[in-house]
Amino acid sequence: WKEGLAEKATEAYLRQQRAAPNLRKLVYGTVAEEEEEDSNNEEELGGLFKVSRPEKSKKIRGDAMDCSRFQPDSSHDWDQEEMLASIRDCFVTGKWDEDKD
Amino acid sequence: MMEFEGCSCFRQRLVLSTLSGKRVKIRNIRSKDDNPGLREFEASFIRLLDKVTNGTRIEINQTGTVLFYQPGLLYGGSVEHECHVQRSVGYYLEALLMLAPFMKTPLRAVLKGVTNDPTDPSVDLLKITAIPLMKTFGIDGDSLEIKVVKRGMAPGGGGEVHFTCPVRRSMKPVLLTDPGKIKRIRGTAFSVRVSPQMANRIVDAARSILNKFIPDIYIYTDHMKGLNSGKSPGFGLTLVAETVNGTFLGAEVMSPPQGQGDPVLPEDLGRNCAKLLLEEIYRGGCVDSTNQSLALLYMTLGQQDVSKTLLGPLSPYTVEFLRHIRDFFQIMFRIEPQKPGEDECKGGEKILMTCVGAGYSNISKSIK
Repeated sequence: WKEGLAEKATEAYLRQQRAAPNLRKLVYGTVAEEEEEDSNNEEELGGLFKVSRPEKSKKIRGDAMDCSRFQPDSSHDWDQEEMLASIRDCFVTGKWDEDKD
Repeated sequence: MMEFEGCSCFRQRLVLSTLSGKRVKIRNIRSKDDNPGLREFEASFIRLLDKVTNGTRIEINQTGTVLFYQPGLLYGGSVEHECHVQRSVGYYLEALLMLAPFMKTPLRAVLKGVTNDPTDPSVDLLKITAIPLMKTFGIDGDSLEIKVVKRGMAPGGGGEVHFTCPVRRSMKPVLLTDPGKIKRIRGTAFSVRVSPQMANRIVDAARSILNKFIPDIYIYTDHMKGLNSGKSPGFGLTLVAETVNGTFLGAEVMSPPQGQGDPVLPEDLGRNCAKLLLEEIYRGGCVDSTNQSLALLYMTLGQQDVSKTLLGPLSPYTVEFLRHIRDFFQIMFRIEPQKPGEDECKGGEKILMTCVGAGYSNISKSIK
């Protein structure tokens, strides 16, 4: 598995590079894609009743909970010193830019 | 007419419909659910919209799975509303914050129900983050206020909140590109129908984490008693970090409603809330994650001039909101990621949002 690690890394890097300017597309462009799939698992019972099964994925899209709260990124562990250090300069006690004091 | 499916983004759709005057039809509301149709809290939300407008037409089919909404004129004035306890007052107030500046007469709303629950942004959080944000858009004056008169915890409720807001003809364009450094942290630890000592234990735990960053921390303790304490016990903490440039980043944690979920220790709650505030600071920007959509809405409805705002990562709710703004107002934002500097320790990547306002003006505002 060790082969081609460098290629994989460059590929991942390029992918990330491509992802950055695409934010606008991510926000405005995905609506059309979401509308595909659907309409394949409707069976008829005796030609009269349609069996409707709640589809998990559809539920999340169409009837999702309407809540503005942004769940925190679970990969951040705020007990770690490095995490604490990563926001040190957001405070007046942190390092200041040269042109300001 | 705009057509949608399902009940997600329910408030966004109705609020933007009311502001743009476009009619909305929502189909298949929980149509595959065992209990289909609109919930009580959504019906309560529609009734609130009906109260603050004049001439709104609402049609709901028998099962409640199809809603037709034709917005009326935003009227405002004195309104009293019993908010359904399935969601907290914050759910309803978030929508009123979006609508209130565009009313014909200044809104004076009395909202009754659950003031704090773990799901929605609480009235305390909106009070310390949304109100200062509204001021930067030129909505100010003594009458812009959120007041918690009685506290009511989930599930019983029994709280009361007063919200007053002046009306404006148009929104000021803003350039919020530098949040500045955090100069102090404030907060409120509250407890109702439990020992007042709980609030002190929360404060000590939160301080133990935040003191590593900044000495200027003050967390008020608030213990409401008797009639003002609502129907259910509970406690919670709201924190806000204030920067030198007037940015307010908020975070909060509430105790789980009585009889739901595992009970939490006040110490754990205090520490969790402090960590959530650090997370919010890491995300950063000039507007915190809860108020992103409010800021973007005011930018959209601003004068025909460029507005810029620096945000942290967009929340899923905000992304949906941007799509709906495009659908209702045909306005798209320029979204530019801003890479953090090499040796800077200012948290994660930020996003600069730019748009030209729609030149929306409040035609119904009465001239005195």
